[in-house]
Amino acid sequence: MGPIRAILYREWKIRATNGAFIFWDMFYPLFYLLVFGVGVNAALDPPPLGANVNYDSFFLAGVLGMASFGIAANSSWSFFLDRDNGIFYEMLTYPMRRSEYLLGKVLFNVCIGMLQTTITLAIGCLLLKIRLLWQLLPLLALTAVAGTAGWFFFYSIFALKIRRNDLFNSVTSVFYFVFLFASSMFYPLGPLPRWFRITALANPITWEVDLLRYSSIGIGAPKQLALESIGFVTFALASFAYAVRSLREQG
Amino acid sequence: MGDFALEVDSLVRVYERRGQKPVSAVDGISFSVQRGAVFGLLGPNGAGKTTLLKVLTTLLRPTSGAARIQGFDVVSRPLAVRECISIVLQETAAELFLSVRDNLLTYGRFHGLDSRIARKRADTVMDKFQITSYAEQKVQDLSGGSRRRVQVAKAFMVDTPVLFLDEFSTGMDPILKRAVMGYLREESANGRTIVLTTQILSEAEELCDDILIINRGKQVARGDLNALKLLSAGVYEISLTFDRLPETIAGDIARLKPLRAHLDGNTVEMAWKSEGAQVLDIVGSLSAKGRVLRVEVNGASLEDIFVELTKEA
Repeated sequence: MGPIRAILYREWKIRATNGAFIFWDMFYPLFYLLVFGVGVNAALDPPPLGANVNYDSFFLAGVLGMASFGIAANSSWSFFLDRDNGIFYEMLTYPMRRSEYLLGKVLFNVCIGMLQTTITLAIGCLLLKIRLLWQLLPLLALTAVAGTAGWFFFYSIFALKIRRNDLFNSVTSVFYFVFLFASSMFYPLGPLPRWFRITALANPITWEVDLLRYSSIGIGAPKQLALESIGFVTFALASFAYAVRSLREQG
Repeated sequence: MGDFALEVDSLVRVYERRGQKPVSAVDGISFSVQRGAVFGLLGPNGAGKTTLLKVLTTLLRPTSGAARIQGFDVVSRPLAVRECISIVLQETAAELFLSVRDNLLTYGRFHGLDSRIARKRADTVMDKFQITSYAEQKVQDLSGGSRRRVQVAKAFMVDTPVLFLDEFSTGMDPILKRAVMGYLREESANGRTIVLTTQILSEAEELCDDILIINRGKQVARGDLNALKLLSAGVYEISLTFDRLPETIAGDIARLKPLRAHLDGNTVEMAWKSEGAQVLDIVGSLSAKGRVLRVEVNGASLEDIFVELTKEA
């Protein structure tokens, strides 16, 4: 456990003493919920999703998905910088296994993800009066853990493969735009054009957000959710396998 | 366990890139290094020094051959190898988002130091490297030279038996460099094995008990400084200072076909390979070209040996 504790200590020191990380990890998704969510909620009165589901409730899962995606993106950026300045290679000579290195990193991401999820749920409940399905909270926690880990592995591949700073920034910016907007994060997919709906249904963010939505407010078709769960677990495992391979290729 | 800190046997590392011819960065190198020695790995750019260092520090797997650190094989026992080593990389590898103190403490944690001992040691190391005044500053806010100090200082946080330094003095001011060379000598006297790569040959000349010169991945020469000087018997360094540089001196020197020559103000510096008596003739003939203020003739320096050996290879 020594090396994993050392990684958690390092990541904690980096994130907790850096205002930019705290803002992007913790508060950026909340601003979306409190500004964008509340704004759209007021504009869409009466709610188009039915009397029991206002936009705040619908968007809560989107914000949780956005947080897991954003935390992974921030971690991968820090990962890329580590590689760029050489400390990553120095760390690979420390007395630890490559698997411990990756495990430590993903554990830290999961911890941050859970903290962010807790804050978002608390604000959703207390401030926006969103009615959560408490009996599904374990499923929600599990989805948040799998989501943060999956996206971390996915982004790690690019942090390990791409050599140029400008290219890495371009890739992450494009990902941010495409993955977030071509998904069920901001809007229900039903009324959208067919090509958009198909694209969104093939997007792992949609799979994660749909599961989060079901486990927070109970919306979703069970058959589709089951398929999406399998899809997301497969995506996370494939990303993990490829990230490990990319890590082994480093040197 | 034997007397050797490092044992390298017919080591080969080939880089294969799609659509390109494979490149042998390390091509059948064998050597061993005594415990507690300061070992210098020298070679021109692209000689294979960094690749060799990466294999020895488990960053790269060899294509064939074997390497052992403190008796542990780098392929089959990488974790045991990592427990024995510290490394200062060529890049300024430091934790940019952490303070100087946290850089040292984190390094200590990764190497299993108890936090109380790590704090005590961090204070000593910061004093030693004169970085105490910015202990709480983040490394990203420091100059390149100060970052390098932090990076090298980290290696002194732990007592791993083998310390690798890749071009450790890059970006260091001469005073710190001298101090670090002193610390390295102390570490070696305490039994720590130091392996360093450098392009600054005076550093190697001053520090190393044992030197390996490689070029294009192959061993070119091996031994202590005296043994290497014997390989280059007959090489002399001549330095002549005139009151005014004679107009024809550049052409006169070129005709002598020196190993290297350099004009600096009124001074001519050249390295030349010949019999001893011929050297005096050359000094005499060049001195006749003008009024000479100073003459110096020395045996070969490590730089001469290096130039001669790597040119031949």
